[in-house]
Amino acid sequence: MSIDVQNRWAERPPGMRDVYPQQAGLRRRLESRLLNFFEQQGFELVSCGLLEYVETLMRGRSVAEADQWLRLFDATGRTVALRPEMTPSIARMAVPLLAAGTREIRWCYAERVYRRTVDPATLSWASGKAAESTQVGIEWIGRTGRDADADAIALCQSAVARLELEGWQLVVSHALFAPAFLRACGVPEESVAGLTQCLARGDYVGFREQLAPFNLEWDVLDLLSRLDPLAERGLPAAVHERFAGRPDGATALAVWEELVGLAAVLRERGLADRLSFDLTMVRDLSYYTGVVFEVFAPGVGAPVALGGRYDDLLSQFGASAPAIGFAVEVERMLTALTDGAWLVHGGPDDCREEGTGC
Amino acid sequence: MLTVALAKGRTADGVLPLWRRAGLPLPDDLDDSRALVFHVRGEDGGAFRYLLAKPADVPTYVAFGVADVGVVGKDVLLESDREVYELLDLRAARCKLCVAGRPEERSRRPRRVATKYPRLADQYFRSLGQAVEIVVLSGSIELAAVIGLADRVFDLVQTGATLAANGLVVYDEVLDVSARLIANRSSYHTKRAAVLNVVDRLREALVELEVTP
Repeated sequence: MSIDVQNRWAERPPGMRDVYPQQAGLRRRLESRLLNFFEQQGFELVSCGLLEYVETLMRGRSVAEADQWLRLFDATGRTVALRPEMTPSIARMAVPLLAAGTREIRWCYAERVYRRTVDPATLSWASGKAAESTQVGIEWIGRTGRDADADAIALCQSAVARLELEGWQLVVSHALFAPAFLRACGVPEESVAGLTQCLARGDYVGFREQLAPFNLEWDVLDLLSRLDPLAERGLPAAVHERFAGRPDGATALAVWEELVGLAAVLRERGLADRLSFDLTMVRDLSYYTGVVFEVFAPGVGAPVALGGRYDDLLSQFGASAPAIGFAVEVERMLTALTDGAWLVHGGPDDCREEGTGC
Repeated sequence: MLTVALAKGRTADGVLPLWRRAGLPLPDDLDDSRALVFHVRGEDGGAFRYLLAKPADVPTYVAFGVADVGVVGKDVLLESDREVYELLDLRAARCKLCVAGRPEERSRRPRRVATKYPRLADQYFRSLGQAVEIVVLSGSIELAAVIGLADRVFDLVQTGATLAANGLVVYDEVLDVSARLIANRSSYHTKRAAVLNVVDRLREALVELEVTP
């Protein structure tokens, strides 16, 4: 073999990845295992087209999120985008049924999703965001409350546990807590968004720099990162005292109580072993309104599964209902399961023997 | 075990005293040996593995999770644009990212800029509304301005001695750079206690350093 210096073969667009026989088999088996499990749990498989109108995807979102979408014009001149995730499509499909009186919807899916990126696919599958990746997930519409949240987290944990992934950790946070906490600590409204963006990026140095001019009496980042709804000790008394008298403090306290309640349910149901809370975890999707969670595994730099509650999104589509959902990032999960071996063309025949669950 | 990616050279030299002060274990032969991987056990029993990497590769090692944490300059971190947690400003290995060139070029519009930082240079000149051609080089950037390949260089300046020796002057200081502690997103959650231990010790050492430098 030699390098094709004359460019004899057809080129592949950047970000796209060819998946050869053994690899494709591994991926399909993982998708099937997850789908079978979700179907056993009472979730029905749905599917839809790859393109959505940008206007559909924009509902309930900030303009900045659209920056990552692959947008183009359809034959009539309307802007469409390759779906960056399945939740908006599912919302679009579910709303007519809800309007006609359906109370609860449990759907699952296995689809490719698309994003703008310049990284090669192998790189972004393991770490950042891939141009094309596969998500297998569920959307559970119509239920709210701590039991519904715990059910979704339990389902995510069981799905991950069935894949025999090693060393995983499920991290829980709440979309409304960090912003409310910052406001209640005395951060002016116009600075809250910038600070939560720092948290979403994991830029703790930038967070401290932006917070420094306000001369707050507490180390807010330290306090926030050490709050643990699972621990018996609860919220520090000083925090409780300060928050009780303020409207934004009341929001933070209410969310805190919600999380303590959820933590108690999780502990009771034996779901707290591989689970921790990190209230500095903020997601870069603006439609989340409640609990959010991410599953981390050694050897990959981004979550292998992620989800959260979005109670206001469906009303943007014309019928209001609470909802929660999550998706497993299939290629990243395979990278974690096989320690990267699945990326090697013709490589990981031994991955079955090692009990990697594929 | 916690794996730490260190940037060989200036960044490591600036950060190691702080690392020692924080009581974090370090191999004795780090400077002399040609090895790239070192195993050490701390007094409290915590095991550390150190990787010596090229500075520009530290964010990559950390983003991929082969290193749990890393020490790298803010310049490299911004240029790499990898998804990692930036946990702590170590306030060491300080320098400045600058635009420099020959004195007689200063009054002219920039046309061609030589740099190791194509992303940051592009952002900087675009934010000034100036269209420039970026020439990517991997070292001795000053040379480009001396021999006229470029009319500006966009590079790190520590003492200014290299610039002065080549007859170049600083036009603008773009960014204050210092070493940062970064962490892999998974490691931060799956090895939280070990990572926070490193953060806490370094923060204590930084506070001590402010009181008794």
